[in-house]
Amino acid sequence: MTETITAESSRRRERVGFSLQRVSVVAANTLTEAVRQKVIILFLLIGLVFIVLAVVLAQFTFGEQMKFIKDTSLGVISVITTLIAIVGTAQLLPSEVENRTIYTILAKPVRRFEFLLGKFCGGLLLVLLGMALMCVLFAAVLWVKEQGMIRELSQTYLGESPAAHLEAQQQIQQVQTEVWDVELVKALVAVLTQAALIASVTLLVSTFSTSLVFNVVVPLMVFIVGMLRGGAADMWGTHRLFMAVVAVIPDFGLFNIADEINLGKVVPWAHIGQIVAYGLGRTLVIVVAAHLLFARREI
Amino acid sequence: MPMKLLVAILLFGIGFTLLPLESSIRAERLRMKYGGAHVTFQLREAIGQNLAIALLAGMRGVVADLLWIQSHGYWEKHEWLRQYRNIEVVATLQPQSVMFWDLGQWHMAWNIGYGAFSDPNNRTKAEGIKREREWHQKALVFLNRGIENIPNRYELYFTMAWLYFEKLSKDCDDPPCREAYCKSAEYLQKACSFPDAPQFVPRLYARALEKCGDLGAAYEEWKHLWFLDHSKTDQAWSIIEREIRRLEDQLQIPDAQRVFPQPAQ
Repeated sequence: MTETITAESSRRRERVGFSLQRVSVVAANTLTEAVRQKVIILFLLIGLVFIVLAVVLAQFTFGEQMKFIKDTSLGVISVITTLIAIVGTAQLLPSEVENRTIYTILAKPVRRFEFLLGKFCGGLLLVLLGMALMCVLFAAVLWVKEQGMIRELSQTYLGESPAAHLEAQQQIQQVQTEVWDVELVKALVAVLTQAALIASVTLLVSTFSTSLVFNVVVPLMVFIVGMLRGGAADMWGTHRLFMAVVAVIPDFGLFNIADEINLGKVVPWAHIGQIVAYGLGRTLVIVVAAHLLFARREI
Repeated sequence: MPMKLLVAILLFGIGFTLLPLESSIRAERLRMKYGGAHVTFQLREAIGQNLAIALLAGMRGVVADLLWIQSHGYWEKHEWLRQYRNIEVVATLQPQSVMFWDLGQWHMAWNIGYGAFSDPNNRTKAEGIKREREWHQKALVFLNRGIENIPNRYELYFTMAWLYFEKLSKDCDDPPCREAYCKSAEYLQKACSFPDAPQFVPRLYARALEKCGDLGAAYEEWKHLWFLDHSKTDQAWSIIEREIRRLEDQLQIPDAQRVFPQPAQ
């Protein structure tokens, strides 16, 4: 009798196909849990405070204040997003194992791949949410600065000749163009791709490690080494042994285009496309690798 | 095949597969002159441990901005050498920023130069002059590097011209030095070739030509400006008219060839 039931349940399990709905349920639950994590909230608060502080710090610059605000805000968004991606993803699997909820979930007709993908998507949603919050504040900060600059310009040219007013109008238009630069979106797309990639690395590490510290430190190291890869490639780029060793580490420096955008350079969409293709290609393969390890893990 | 081996093959495989794409992105960035110096030991020594870590986190712009603020502090405290070191590092970190090259050379040639000239520790006035000239030369070398990095914008050509016009023109035994004005005119001519150059650039070009000693070329430049379409070009027409009249008198241009013939007596 028991044998019949086991065989029956095994057949039923085999029949269970991949379901995006189950993935989305796991992702939604992951997001709900993740947003309650104090460390994530702390990171976000730090990011938000720094973005506001950028306006104050910009007062000390001698030169382009707008550049300083954009540099700081985009830098903070990039760092905080990366940290959220690492810390948020690092505890997805260990917390499930520690709370023993993973046994309940995997006992149900949920494929391990669906579970893992759901967890990863939930982590990405968390990153997206955090980034969206910081972007909203960034936009608000830019708007405040823009209004201040326009007010200042209007007062400077108050009572001047019509020609001066025309010049003021041109300067105001220049300020608006500088503030609401569409190019900023490209920098944010690159940051998001980078976050997805580092989240996948963290997920991979967390499939074979149970230590939270290990899960956080290793991806951080990978990130730092990845940042240094560009410089190393310039030095030993043609050396085959070097290429063989570093091929496994993603080049995170490739995602850093915010500086160029802040300096007023136009980064072609084709270039962004290449960066996204590179990031997503690696992310996809790393998630598959994480699944291969997770599928064999004894739980 | 053991699963771990398969995973390793997968990870290395994707790494190798994407190497050409990586190289292509890097080559494109090189072509478009993106980025700045990599984090080297020398750079770490210059900026300190904390900022080096920030650089590693991809916050190149923030590090440059912070060093720029710091350099402003050194300026206020008259710590010229520290300020100079910071300016050099900032320009190395973000060589595509016009502002850093522009204001950096201004600090060297104008502020630090004058600081060195009027330093009470100078034993003689000649020592002050010598030290000031050294800073002018440093500014010149610095700005040349700036132009090498940003050759496709008018700003640094204009800045270089202004450096020759205002500072290097006085750095000879018998100022004003004509050669400096001629060099200034060369750079102004380059700056004029950019369509976004402001209206004062061609006017200064005409002035530099005159100071260089080529009055004829200066006259031709003013005339060229005058014959631009007044309704489409934003210019200080009254200044151009004044200069043309002055040069026509000075060069004794025959009435028939003048833009503004003299009124009949």
